[in-house]
Amino acid sequence: MHIRSGTLVLSVVAAVVSAPARGAAADPFNEVSDKTNSKMVKVFGAGGFSRLNNFGTGIVISPDGHILTVASQLLDTSDLVVHLYDGRRLRAEVMVVEPELDAALLRIRVEGKKPGEPTGLDLPYFDFAEAVKRPAAEPGDWILGFTNQFEIALRDEPLTVQRGVIAARTKLSGRVGVFDFPYTGEVYVVDAITNNPGAAGGALTDRKGNLLGIIGREIKNTQTETGINYAIPVGAKVTITVKVKEKDKEEERTLTLSLPDFVARGMKGEYKPTRRDPAGRPGDGGWSGIVFVPNILSRTPAYVEDVIPGSPAAKAGLRPDDLISFVDGEPIVSITAFQDFLRVRTRPGTTIRVDVRRGEALQTVEMTLGVHPPKPTPVPPPKKP
Amino acid sequence: MSRSPFRLLLLLAAPAVLGLAACLVPVASARPAAVDKLVADAEAERVAVIQKVSPAVVAVCIHGGQAVGSGVVIDPEGYALTNHHVVQPTGPIMQCGLADGVLYDAVLVGQDKIGDVALVKLLPKQKDKPFPFVQLGDSDKVRIGDWSLAMGNPFSIALDFTPTVTYGLVSGTNRYEPLGSRPGISEYTDCIQVDTSINPGNSGGPLFNAKGELIGINGRINFEKRVRINSGVGYAISINQIKNFLGHFYAGIDTDHASLGASAGSVDDDSDLAKIVVKQILEDSDAYRRGLRDGDQLISFAGRPMTSTNQYKNILGTFPKEWRVPLLFRRENEKKEVLVRLQNITPAEKDQPAGGPMPPMPPRPMGPGGPPPRPDSPAAKLHKPKPGYTNFYFNEIQRDKLLTGAKKHGDFTAGAATWTAEGRYDAGERKGEMRFEVDAGKEVAAVVLRLNIEHRLLPLEQTDPRQQAEPIGSGGLMMALYHYHRFLTTEGKGFEGEFVHGGSEPFYPPPADGGTPKSLAALRVDADVIRTKHGSVTCKWYFAKTDQKLLGLETFISKDTDPCELYLSDYKDAGNGRVLPHRIEARYGDKRYAVLTVSKYTLK
Repeated sequence: MHIRSGTLVLSVVAAVVSAPARGAAADPFNEVSDKTNSKMVKVFGAGGFSRLNNFGTGIVISPDGHILTVASQLLDTSDLVVHLYDGRRLRAEVMVVEPELDAALLRIRVEGKKPGEPTGLDLPYFDFAEAVKRPAAEPGDWILGFTNQFEIALRDEPLTVQRGVIAARTKLSGRVGVFDFPYTGEVYVVDAITNNPGAAGGALTDRKGNLLGIIGREIKNTQTETGINYAIPVGAKVTITVKVKEKDKEEERTLTLSLPDFVARGMKGEYKPTRRDPAGRPGDGGWSGIVFVPNILSRTPAYVEDVIPGSPAAKAGLRPDDLISFVDGEPIVSITAFQDFLRVRTRPGTTIRVDVRRGEALQTVEMTLGVHPPKPTPVPPPKKP
Repeated sequence: MSRSPFRLLLLLAAPAVLGLAACLVPVASARPAAVDKLVADAEAERVAVIQKVSPAVVAVCIHGGQAVGSGVVIDPEGYALTNHHVVQPTGPIMQCGLADGVLYDAVLVGQDKIGDVALVKLLPKQKDKPFPFVQLGDSDKVRIGDWSLAMGNPFSIALDFTPTVTYGLVSGTNRYEPLGSRPGISEYTDCIQVDTSINPGNSGGPLFNAKGELIGINGRINFEKRVRINSGVGYAISINQIKNFLGHFYAGIDTDHASLGASAGSVDDDSDLAKIVVKQILEDSDAYRRGLRDGDQLISFAGRPMTSTNQYKNILGTFPKEWRVPLLFRRENEKKEVLVRLQNITPAEKDQPAGGPMPPMPPRPMGPGGPPPRPDSPAAKLHKPKPGYTNFYFNEIQRDKLLTGAKKHGDFTAGAATWTAEGRYDAGERKGEMRFEVDAGKEVAAVVLRLNIEHRLLPLEQTDPRQQAEPIGSGGLMMALYHYHRFLTTEGKGFEGEFVHGGSEPFYPPPADGGTPKSLAALRVDADVIRTKHGSVTCKWYFAKTDQKLLGLETFISKDTDPCELYLSDYKDAGNGRVLPHRIEARYGDKRYAVLTVSKYTLK
């Protein structure tokens, strides 16, 4: 067996170079750990089966209880719960999700308060705008990771703290399962083994507890096929190409999305998730070719029962038992929600991005919708003899 | 609320992992010329600490064979801590390598299978030559963010037993980590989580704080999809938990963990703040007799606030069975603090209903062809198997050592078959003259106790527990006095049923004024225990660890009832340099029965 990680070698060099961090060795991290832990939450949501975690981590970014985390399948539930550092258990809701940045913004709900009303929580928090202003960390800088990996902590139990150095700052080239990871911007790669189950949404900080980034998920490096320990920097930016339609003419346009903008506008409720394709006219909507499980509940989850051969869904590689979780970044809570989305927001030829939960991972596929096939003629019931 | 059962790995070095060897690391560029003094000092300090503790780090090996884990020597006689799962493949006779490159014969002394701890003893090469050893730290003072050093022999790398050092942060404290889904089989309670690299072969090795004090024994790592090596999450059994079991280990006891005799858990997972309540309580448990009932809220347990189910399991898991610990609970608006005697967690075999389903046995991996043959080792002479004990040889040693220490306070073995004591008694509303006499000289032993009326007991003739428990309300004061006399005069020969060292337990002498103590924890005295059985009656004898003075005893007339407790104090010379207590407080249940103040002993 060989140790294959390319980043490992990098980090060894970095550690040696950075050893003379001022007074570092003499200065334990007790206070920084306590202080940072109070600005973090344990997130509990969807999952809990097929080795799909139903727990994660979140970063408090306002005294009112706004929480920044990653855009994982965990959020695909109306029953989202957070545990605060002091042991309080509170409900939370998703405000907005931006898969291009793999970021999600949550808000703690306090009973008796309407959404958007001040919660009066007055929590310790990270000032995200301040964090963005600080210079980015460099390879060799010491870091601390704060996560609820392996669901070790519940209630008032403090999160796991780990120490390491930044091994590299580089573009992410990762995959989840067989799919390429949607986020392709810059990340901090660290030498600590931070990205364990449940760690996603944790805080990467410097030695003083200043927020540097959001610890990401368990993904594989596409070049070396090894697990990669990374965090998305607070100032993350990605440039994507979207199709824009103007006066019946489609053209491609380049857009830059940034985490600071997502957070700033998201907290005000003004952020709209990006769609790579323009919404279609209201009307028939596009056709996916997905056959869902029987829609017997008011909110039957959008589980794929079957895929019609040759349909857009089949071409996109969807399979039975996939659960449609997000379409173009919007949470899909039920079969009806998916059908409504297609009818109102798409038309034949529209390309949608579908996040499906398959096995243990959230996977993203693109699907160009087709035209509804003609309704089959009903088979006449067999005549009684 | 319980955690999803992540697979945890026991860190036994298998020969197969030896292949996982070093990788090439490019040579680092030259060090920067000037190093900050703080950094240089910190480094020098760290190096000095490592040099200080290295000689005491152990590589545990199968006798004549493969290194399987690590350990650490904790006293000059060569007693060393390791994991239970490390000594499973070695059997009771093993060998241990130290950093001096020497392989010592060693024997298993005591163990805690549930807590995954074992004590072994290394045999010196030269008689009485002291071993290098480390100091035990205080793991309750360990804080998240502290530096920690793990040492041991991962992947059995060091053939000359030079320990490997890894360095990292304490990632978490008071962690609860069950292994698998069956609670009580093996669990790490109140353990320390580190990001310090812990790999197969590190098992049983020491975790030190920055000062080189032993704060834990490394034993597990968390992994899921990763290969079975360091995943950034390692666990060490906290040294304070081990300290609770240490007296049992030295006495060669196969220890058991404790149960409250009740199940307790979070009342409602949906509530904003966790509230731990009693969900089901056994009516024959001590906790029930102390007044705990279903629905009562646990406020604190052994001094630890009960804020989550994990914290409850954590603190409970740190005690051996039969320990008494303070419990503060609330019912409606009333709070009450009691001392609860914990019960065993593993049901004794005789407690199994006949024909009922047997509990699943803990996994006990055996090499092919059963246990290894008894090696030809000098350590084999130090091994004496006995049911309930890991190694009864050490029980006898510790027991005799304790009794020798106790004899400093007077040797009663020469004669004195009849004892008479005169003085006064105080039983609250009743008080007056007191006299008791224990006469073991005749064919039929007899105890006479005169308080306001005269009580008389023939301890061996009268077998009805109700008679044995007289005077009513004392739980068996006469029986206790009879056993006390027997204990002092027969030197163990009078206890045909059992006469063994019972490890260490806390003892709580009540305040002399009979008042309610401000805190039960403040009363605690650490004691070594002797257990005896004579006829149908068992007793536990509590000796102060400091001077081996007998502090008191508990006399159990029958199982599942409260004992008669005697608290002995005001020791004075009773003639011929023999010191006896002139104040004896008898308690039963939660109440004081009487205080006997002796003005004169007559020993004939």
